[in-house]
Amino acid sequence: MLDTMTPLQRGTAIAKGESADRLPCNPNIANGVARIYGCKISEFNTDAKTLAKAQIASYRKFGYDSIRIFTDLFPWAEAMGSKVVKPDDNTVDLAEPAIKNIEEISNLMPADPYKDGRLPVQLDAMKYLVDEVGDEIGCSFGVVGPFTNAFFLFGVEKTLTSIRKNPEVVHRLCRVSMETVKAFVEAGIKIGLTPSISEPMSSCTVVSPKVFREFSLPYLKELVDFINSKGKGVIIHICGQTNKIWPDLEKLDIAGMSIDNVASIAECKKIMGHKTKILGNVDPGGIMYSGSPLDVRLKTLECIRDGYDSPKGYTVMSGCSLPVETSTENIKEMLDTVRDAEYPVNINKVESMIADCKKKMNQEDY
Amino acid sequence: MTSKDELLSELSRCVLEMEDDDIADVAREYAKNGYKPLDGILNGLVDGMNKAAQLYEEEEYFIPELLICSDAMYNGLDVLRPLLSKTDFGNGHKIVIGVVQGDTHDIGKNLVKIMLESAGYELIDLGRDVPVENFVKAAKENNASVVGMSTLMSTSMNNMKLVIDSLAKEGIRDKVKVIIGGGPISKSFAHKIGADGYSRSAVEAVKLVNQLVGISA
Repeated sequence: MLDTMTPLQRGTAIAKGESADRLPCNPNIANGVARIYGCKISEFNTDAKTLAKAQIASYRKFGYDSIRIFTDLFPWAEAMGSKVVKPDDNTVDLAEPAIKNIEEISNLMPADPYKDGRLPVQLDAMKYLVDEVGDEIGCSFGVVGPFTNAFFLFGVEKTLTSIRKNPEVVHRLCRVSMETVKAFVEAGIKIGLTPSISEPMSSCTVVSPKVFREFSLPYLKELVDFINSKGKGVIIHICGQTNKIWPDLEKLDIAGMSIDNVASIAECKKIMGHKTKILGNVDPGGIMYSGSPLDVRLKTLECIRDGYDSPKGYTVMSGCSLPVETSTENIKEMLDTVRDAEYPVNINKVESMIADCKKKMNQEDY
Repeated sequence: MTSKDELLSELSRCVLEMEDDDIADVAREYAKNGYKPLDGILNGLVDGMNKAAQLYEEEEYFIPELLICSDAMYNGLDVLRPLLSKTDFGNGHKIVIGVVQGDTHDIGKNLVKIMLESAGYELIDLGRDVPVENFVKAAKENNASVVGMSTLMSTSMNNMKLVIDSLAKEGIRDKVKVIIGGGPISKSFAHKIGADGYSRSAVEAVKLVNQLVGISA
């Protein structure tokens, strides 16, 4: 079955309660778009046009519902003085935090999104993106939350230890990160895109809910309120387990909550579904990268079964960014499965397709 | 004079309750009394670390707490370890461990290292962002029983397979057990790339390695 609506038409229709051709779906391809477009990932560090064109090429190939300028977790820390490694054809990673000891903290300055590091490249890419496809798909850009950025300024282990030993340091790191993130978010919104926040260090897999409430939530709330005051909604993604902080996140005015595959769509729906859209959570490593198309089909169907009736909407998504080398076959299978589920979702059909997948797996002797 | 049992439980408590500043004094008092250093390590420090790991499993402790517990354990080890003869502690197995290339996150790897060291393994830590050939070279040079690899980045997972392929090419694949772990890693991925084992947590990693090298815990 082919799509008959653009992502923007589909999203608008679903929001109004009108008919649509299928549920929205975002495989979350990330830097894998370089493979589809045929460029090196390092080109995204310097070439705004290539960054945008690669995103567009991948969107055109698969027809999914979300397109985003986001290359890695570190452009904001880098713009504030942290060093990164830029592999020729792989994702950028943190090499050295901006400060090595607490005394240097007063040297940290908020970044200028129009000048510092790779931020101007990302802003330019946003312009190309909106110009090319802004009338058919909602364009977004990623940013890390202030708490997560704090770790990349002072180093992950030192910041973790400071949570107990020197809490004021962590707050100062969050505050200066907030300035950078707000300036970047404002610049992106001016271009016409919608921000999405990645806040991986807030995960219950890393810090306790208590630490989240003290060190991350206040800044996250300030950022969300700031974005809302500029007339935009915002989706938050947190990696790992997040169940114990859903009641806190539910109180924020966010447009969507994107969860990892170790968390449960059905449970998240119960706690946050009445307030915000739920997105997730096909396993990017175990299923999308390592699995067969049949594995992808089964997991996608199970996600739809668990999420389709969420009151504020549901988007099929991977639990996190896909590995660069994920096969196009599996990505296509995710989209095709969403198409097969129909809209409004035909739950009887979904259940019977789940049963079919399981039967096939048994026959193949999984 | 404080009894041995009292000092052992104080060492354990200092690790568990993150008293990383005070623990060295307790370890020195323990040593001054002439009690066996190995008991101090195993029944004091390691006992505390095991209890901390248990609290982590129960979601009472999180990574910041575990890191400070391990700081406390190492501060105690710095006092007690020099008093050991080399053969006292350890089971003779060497483990090469590192974060694969393309990823500089090493908290998970460090936790696994801490737990394996406290279980008596000798760890050769290659650090983070480790190129494929360095794993193979270190495994060869150290005659390692186990190679452990981790990554947090789904983007770097494939480098694990390259290490396994390279071990095979060098003809030492059957001499070492390969274990992998990290956020995006799963049992099915371990199976797919031909690793010998996967564990979800640092605590499970000890059980897994014991099983693979044939040590019953």
